Amino acid sequence: MTVTSAPFLALLLPPLVAALLALVLPPRRFLAGVAHAALALVSLGAALGLIHLVLDGETPTWGPTDLFRVDALSALLALCVAFVTALAALLGPGPGRDQHYTPAQIRRFRVFASLFAFTMLVAVTANNVGVMWIAIEATTIVSAVIVPLTVSKASVEASWKYILIGSVGIALAFVGTVLGYFDFVTLVGPRESALNWTVLLANARVLHPPVIELAFVFILIGYGTKAGLAPMHTWLPDAHSEAPSALSAMMSGVLLAVALYAIIRWKAVVASVVGPVFPNRLLIGLGLLSLAIAALSLVIQRQYKRLLAYSSIEHTGLMCMGLALGPLGVFASMLHLVNHTVAKSMMFFLSGRILDRYGTPEIGSVSGLLRVMPWTGGLFAAGMLALLGLPPFGMFLSEFTLLRAGFADGLGGLMAVVLVFLAVAFVSLLGHLNRMLYGAAPAEMRVGEGSRWDVLPLAGCVAALIVLGIAVPAPMTALLHRIVEIAGR
Amino acid sequence: MSPEMVSQLSVGGSTLVLLGGLMMLWRRGVAAHIGAFTFQSVALAATMAMVGWFAGDWQLWAVAALLLLVKGIGIPLLLKRMERRFGSERELEPYVNTATSLLIGGLLVLLAYIVTAPLVSVSRLPTRTGMPLAIGLVFVSLFIIISRKKALTQVLGFLMLENGIALLAVLGTHGIPIIVEIGVFLDVALGFIVMQVFVYQIHETFESIDVEQLNRLRE
Repeated sequence: MTVTSAPFLALLLPPLVAALLALVLPPRRFLAGVAHAALALVSLGAALGLIHLVLDGETPTWGPTDLFRVDALSALLALCVAFVTALAALLGPGPGRDQHYTPAQIRRFRVFASLFAFTMLVAVTANNVGVMWIAIEATTIVSAVIVPLTVSKASVEASWKYILIGSVGIALAFVGTVLGYFDFVTLVGPRESALNWTVLLANARVLHPPVIELAFVFILIGYGTKAGLAPMHTWLPDAHSEAPSALSAMMSGVLLAVALYAIIRWKAVVASVVGPVFPNRLLIGLGLLSLAIAALSLVIQRQYKRLLAYSSIEHTGLMCMGLALGPLGVFASMLHLVNHTVAKSMMFFLSGRILDRYGTPEIGSVSGLLRVMPWTGGLFAAGMLALLGLPPFGMFLSEFTLLRAGFADGLGGLMAVVLVFLAVAFVSLLGHLNRMLYGAAPAEMRVGEGSRWDVLPLAGCVAALIVLGIAVPAPMTALLHRIVEIAGR
Repeated sequence: MSPEMVSQLSVGGSTLVLLGGLMMLWRRGVAAHIGAFTFQSVALAATMAMVGWFAGDWQLWAVAALLLLVKGIGIPLLLKRMERRFGSERELEPYVNTATSLLIGGLLVLLAYIVTAPLVSVSRLPTRTGMPLAIGLVFVSLFIIISRKKALTQVLGFLMLENGIALLAVLGTHGIPIIVEIGVFLDVALGFIVMQVFVYQIHETFESIDVEQLNRLRE
């Protein structure tokens, strides 16, 4: 154990500074944009540094009663959050883009997107389940503010559903947290550190199974609402499709993963109290339901951003099931999480570019994409194929491993059902993609890429997905193995 | 105070807090709803102070004072401002009528007693007797949120849900760690402010705060 504040400060301070700077600097200045992006990159560097520390066998902690603690699982999530935040800082609302945002809107976006990143980073590095809950509740508040960045009936409706359902869901997770604390206090007595993972896990054997089971039901419904698990997912397609694309990328790419992270942490505690059967059954049930509802909803979608939102529900469902399929399943699930973070955030940025050019969210009104914007169209196609789980992209590997884990666990019938729903999603997504890529471009459509440098980081995402699909880098594998030790019990 | 007395006071206080939630079901005016919430928050602060006295914990007194300040005075003041704007929009036709609502409310409290049986049996605190009522309020608040049509009523349901959880925490554990408590307070206050902004925004965009018109995004 080392007590060092430097990596924590380097991770958590930049988004706060970025929010402050965005508040005071004139948003149209080039320098303001550079500072905003540079700060996000500092955070990303700190996350990489933390991974390096963790791979060296350290578990950095910080603060009174070890308020913050980074193990392999936290480090991976911190990397995902910092990665998407950096993309959003590079490609989000700013001057010189096709999107026409007013300076006030750019400022509002930068302030709240930075705070959003800060709350997510706190959520995944907090050692205290109470602090984690506070941070996740705060993610809803700060992100809901910028869902209606452009006020319209649809965006107001989406933001209302998001904040109401999100807040109520997360409140139920707090009921579960209180019940867990209640059981601890009843047995061990009040202690300031009783809400720490480490302390909860160490005392897990003496906790009461019926109380902890009840607590887990509340926690799963609560954080499951934030993770977009069916049947609590109803807010998600609305919020993710109506939000500005950079926010959609952050919400779909990592917020869902952060909520899933909370479930993973609690699952480890619950599994050591009552054994793995009870939590696994719930996770498989909710995961399968999400997969089924998402796959069937994909067929009837008419808007491409909603398509991506439902695909997020599908993939969160898969990850959720993977968590219940033994060590190999956890490994696959976490690999899938990384792939999904990269692929989905990239796709939302690309859909933002498409929306700016075509001016319509309808799939039916977008045609000839490959001719109108060759790079955007090509990357969009690659991203969609990646989301479908085709080789050579990373999701092929993670989905294949996940199914293998299921078969090895003796759940062959269940995996067959999963394959059926994956096939349904496959066919419908491919059909929608075809309609957008080919055909004649609408008359008087401007041809050629706008803000072409923006394509570069997105092409980098595709490259990363291919690398993850051909051979998972050794440090990533090592990190995932450590996560399995934490969460795979 | 003897444990028996604390136990009875816990049930009494919790009953008053729950009553605030049930009042939402049979009253229809905006002013009455705000009154119910204010009454509930004051009852909750009093219950908290009582537990704090019994447990000899000054932190609980501080939390009770904070609660009285934020939920007993601050938020009701903001709600009154909203009432002046939306006071005419009463809950005239909720999805579930008053008689059925009250019946469901009663059943939910009964369900809470069944669900919390394992909690009450493991705890040795004299305050544990009020825990089923706290969970009952959580269920009733959820019901308020899904069965009422006005955005303002839904906000009140959410605030009551938070009150129910605070009651559960104080009765079951004699207070969660202070740092978490303060963070939760901040979240509730911020969340309420953002929701309030959204209610005004809904009114401006749709010219009413009836959430039934929020049905554009569907397929």
